[in-house]
Amino acid sequence: MAGRGHAQLRDRDDVLLSVRDLVVQFPAGRKRVVHAVSEVSFDVAGGETLGIVGESGCGKSTVARAIIRLVDITAGEVRFQGQDLAGLEGEELRKVRPNLQMIFQDPISSLNPRRRVRDVISEGLAVWGDDIGSWSRDSIDELMDAVGVEARFGDRRPHEFSGGQCQRIGIARALALDPKVLICDEPVSALDVSIQAQILNLIQDMKSRYGLTVLFISHDLSVVKNVSDRIVVMYLGKVCEIGSTAEIYARPAHPYTRALLASIPEPAPTVDASEGDIEGELPSATAPPSGCRFHTRCPRATEVCREVEPATEQVGDADHFVACHHPVAVEISAR
Amino acid sequence: MAVESVSAPAPLLSVRDLHVRFPTERGTVNAVNGVSFDLYEGRTLAIVGESGSGKSVTAKTLMNLLPRTAHVSGEVTYDGQDVRALAAAGTKHFFGVQMTMVFQDPMTSLNPVKKVGEQIAETLRYHLGRSRSDALEEAEHLLDQVGIPEPSRRVSQYPHELSGGLRQRVVIAMALACQPRLLIADEPTTAVDVTVQKHLLDLLDRLRRDRGMSMILITHDLGVAHGRADDVAVMYAGRLVETADARTLFFDMRHPYTEALLRSIPRIEDPVHHRLDPIPGRPPELVDPPDACAFAPRCIYARADCLDGVPELSGLVGLHRFACLHPTGTERGEAALATNRTAGVTAAGLSLPQEAPGSG
Repeated sequence: MAGRGHAQLRDRDDVLLSVRDLVVQFPAGRKRVVHAVSEVSFDVAGGETLGIVGESGCGKSTVARAIIRLVDITAGEVRFQGQDLAGLEGEELRKVRPNLQMIFQDPISSLNPRRRVRDVISEGLAVWGDDIGSWSRDSIDELMDAVGVEARFGDRRPHEFSGGQCQRIGIARALALDPKVLICDEPVSALDVSIQAQILNLIQDMKSRYGLTVLFISHDLSVVKNVSDRIVVMYLGKVCEIGSTAEIYARPAHPYTRALLASIPEPAPTVDASEGDIEGELPSATAPPSGCRFHTRCPRATEVCREVEPATEQVGDADHFVACHHPVAVEISAR
Repeated sequence: MAVESVSAPAPLLSVRDLHVRFPTERGTVNAVNGVSFDLYEGRTLAIVGESGSGKSVTAKTLMNLLPRTAHVSGEVTYDGQDVRALAAAGTKHFFGVQMTMVFQDPMTSLNPVKKVGEQIAETLRYHLGRSRSDALEEAEHLLDQVGIPEPSRRVSQYPHELSGGLRQRVVIAMALACQPRLLIADEPTTAVDVTVQKHLLDLLDRLRRDRGMSMILITHDLGVAHGRADDVAVMYAGRLVETADARTLFFDMRHPYTEALLRSIPRIEDPVHHRLDPIPGRPPELVDPPDACAFAPRCIYARADCLDGVPELSGLVGLHRFACLHPTGTERGEAALATNRTAGVTAAGLSLPQEAPGSG
């Protein structure tokens, strides 16, 4: 799977964020290197929600962190409104950052426990000044109201709120600077099932109300399907499959995507449950397999998969791209 | 129930009116409130609930793993034996032999400085009095049975050398070492990825069938319960609110909480951007619970009588039981919902949109 290539990049004027051949490596000691993200390319159009899905170690969170430069980019481009963020430093980087805001998996630990939530939410405004966007420190109550946290609790501290409420506070903090892009890294994974839907609906509401572009990272295929217009499936630092959500769930072409869809407790109707029985363990990211990185576990792997890394190619004429030498035949006629 | 009869076999495990309370600084936490159920030989019971519902405390009570500060009352009978009396007597070779448990995080159930083979062998030596070499040989065999490749190499590895999925298999091997008749799995796959989860659940299924074991599967994931359990018990705020065979529970549920929970989760077959139907509010505090249905403040069916006393589970143990005065899918329930919708608010003060449920 394990693909590289740019077939999935769109030549459109409304592309807001474009990631091209992104590489992120971490030193692992003794001259070894963790290949966390390897030549990943995708783009996000304004107003779109792009879901990034994959299992632990696939690099999905690292991609998100690299985009807002929480981790260093080893190589490649991250273009936001045409400007490459990869090379930015100091004041230039600082100026871009209000446009890209993030919410995190653990809502409680991502809020400073010693500060009042009103101050947590307005910290960005305190740094940037009230004229950076449409919110000001005087309108924080309104913002709290918008995310469903009662403004009269603004003087409380994070520990006095439930996990769901803390995630709402995290969303308010992200929205305070009027970002263009909201990056959500597993935003509902730590929440109870009865609370998850509240937060997913809130993210959708905020997206339409404030015209956000959303990058939504999750391991949960049902959640990603619910929120995303397009989806990237990742495995061991590589893109496997990318395309419109409806297309990928209706006609999954990559053996790994199919394995994921077959593994969930109530498997997707488009795959056979036995396709979830992929063999073996996730290989080490310090010594990723040659060729297609999925070949060690892929039921369809042949010699070429061990030697040649597949590039992304379009499936039919749909918004659907797969990086696989032997993609599962997709019945285009059914469209 | 301890009714002896040839035609109807006695349940392997029978729990009656179980209560567990913990004294805390904020007051007494009523973690489990009057839980009763039966588990028959060879069956899998899933106990489903959110954090704080009491599902894990129930499991730990069965396994005698609660801290000393816990106040427990009620009856737990296993194969005719009074389990709480066994626990009080300090019986050595019951917990971990007849009844064993697999926990959520395999890293914390394994000793990090001991080879996995020795950890499994330790169980065999302590409980069954096996010799060291005999036990090590058996440990290797057990690793093979739980699908660990190259068991002869793995026995002498440490937990940190194994992936999360393999570690959980080691824990399962350890739990199976003494041939238990009942395995309690507490969120066994919550810490692992979805493809690993499938492998582990398949493994537990196979082992249960091959060995004729019974299993209690504690999970917050309705999907896991749906595919893997014969019977399902839904817990909310320390009580069982609905129990039924899996099919009935998922397709003909009666408790509004079960219905709301199923409606709120995104499903793979739903269309893209399907608007979710969240459950409003959040689970109640377990300190000083009001004398009312605990779900009433979040329930679209709530009427005045829901706030007057805790509804009892209907029916007999073993049948479809639910603790609700206005159950969904019944005339009483539909009438309550219609009244609430007309009023725009439930008796518990939850405001309701006028449109039909599930639309949008």
